[in-house]
Amino acid sequence: MRGLKAGHMRSYRVAAIVLGAGIAALFSYVASAQTRETAGTPASRDLSGFWELSFDSRRVPDANLLSAVTRAVRAERAKRDAYAIRWCNLLGMPFVMDSGRPLDIRQGRTAVIIVPENASGPRYLYLDRSTHIGEEIFDPTAYGDSIAHWEGDTLVADTIGFHPDRGITTIPGGGHRSATSHLVERYRLLQGGQVLSVVFTWTDPKVFRTPHTYEFRYYRLPADYEPRTWLPCDPFDDGRGQFLEGPAPRAGAGGK
Amino acid sequence: MSLTCWGVDMAVPRLRVTMLLLLLPTVLVPGTVHAQAPSAPDRHIEGHWVRKDVGGAGNFGGLANQIPPAQLTPEAAAGRGGGPGRAGGPGRGGGQQPSTPNAAGVPYIVVERPCANPGRGNGALLINPDSGGIHIIEHKDEVILAGERGGVRHIYLDARPHPAPGSRVPVNAGHSLGRYEGDALIVDTIGLTPGGVAGGGLRTAETRLRERLEVSPDGKTMTITYTWEDPKIYQKPHTYSYVFDRLPSGSYAFEDWCDAGDPIEKQSIVPPPQKP
Repeated sequence: MRGLKAGHMRSYRVAAIVLGAGIAALFSYVASAQTRETAGTPASRDLSGFWELSFDSRRVPDANLLSAVTRAVRAERAKRDAYAIRWCNLLGMPFVMDSGRPLDIRQGRTAVIIVPENASGPRYLYLDRSTHIGEEIFDPTAYGDSIAHWEGDTLVADTIGFHPDRGITTIPGGGHRSATSHLVERYRLLQGGQVLSVVFTWTDPKVFRTPHTYEFRYYRLPADYEPRTWLPCDPFDDGRGQFLEGPAPRAGAGGK
Repeated sequence: MSLTCWGVDMAVPRLRVTMLLLLLPTVLVPGTVHAQAPSAPDRHIEGHWVRKDVGGAGNFGGLANQIPPAQLTPEAAAGRGGGPGRAGGPGRGGGQQPSTPNAAGVPYIVVERPCANPGRGNGALLINPDSGGIHIIEHKDEVILAGERGGVRHIYLDARPHPAPGSRVPVNAGHSLGRYEGDALIVDTIGLTPGGVAGGGLRTAETRLRERLEVSPDGKTMTITYTWEDPKIYQKPHTYSYVFDRLPSGSYAFEDWCDAGDPIEKQSIVPPPQKP
């Protein structure tokens, strides 16, 4: 009896030590993973690089627009967009994501910055807050207020606070950004990090009948790529003004 | 007293030992320990910053006067006058200066070409920031400085070299390479467009700018020390510092909207009607 009890006690001790060691190992692994996460972002969760759209980069279906978005509304929007281009305004979202030149995207601890090579200025996706700036504080902007978080290997960015008129408001596939627009973007690296997929979903009770989703796929440029200093945009260049606002070009006519 | 665990009676003291063993790792996990410790000051240069009026000058003229004057070479001093604008920033072109006060309701036009400053979007303002906020993002390959009033600087940390002299058109932000010395970021810039420098200095495409960006031990301020070197311009390196306050976590970049097509961008005050 005594021998059996002593045997049980040894078993308990061994079981406890094995269990404790196992849990310690588990905690150690988790702690180690946390340290790696802090010290260096895993490659699959670092979107940084120089990214370029190509001719086959856009998958954009037609938007399902509300009947309120009439031909006249669309024409007015096109006119406003032309004004923004003519006067070198900050062009904003969604134009900046397809500006005709590569994007420099850098992911820091507190934000992701998206820098175009034109006069549109940088865009920020804030990682250090989980709620939007309150509308009593935030003045609507051409970029809106973007906050982002990771869901696995996907960076999910949520944007509201858009200005209804500033910059180019036309959305690929149809429709336009307004004060009630809500944009969700899902950024994910594909093909070993050589391709960046961004799935855009716009909702707006005043513009879209159903959520409007489209995808861009950016190709990674070489790491030693040098961004071209942004192309000058001079609103007081008369020749430029005439080109943009003058009579439509016709066959056989040369520019002056 | 005894308890049953996994169908086996266990004496309480033994259970205590076992529980202690089980709880031990939770005490040893660094994250658990860190969660209980007070947070350390943020020494990263990443964040939102706004220039500080260290000496209490109260205006930009006073701030500029605090910068030690550059010791120019006789040749540079003789040829001075080519750098438009204050503190190296390109000028915006002033409006007409009326010799008599404007009538009531007639605005003063103070800028002929609003929003057309070539420094916008090109980094000139970030060489010597003004009162607008600046925002810094740190990545292992590149640090980006972006200003609310326009301008983006790319500072490469990926060991690429500067472009060969003459192979790149000078730009307002120049070409910048960076490296860390402890927590301080050391930046080396060449390839700047010709212009003025704070403290009465000058710069050309051959001028070298060295900067040291360092956050104070308490994490609340950042000092950028600028050193301009060019034997054709300076008798000795021209050095001065700007100090910035860190904005609270959760801050965001303001949008500096400027519509060149809006006539109001050209004007200052509109004199109101005067009572007889």
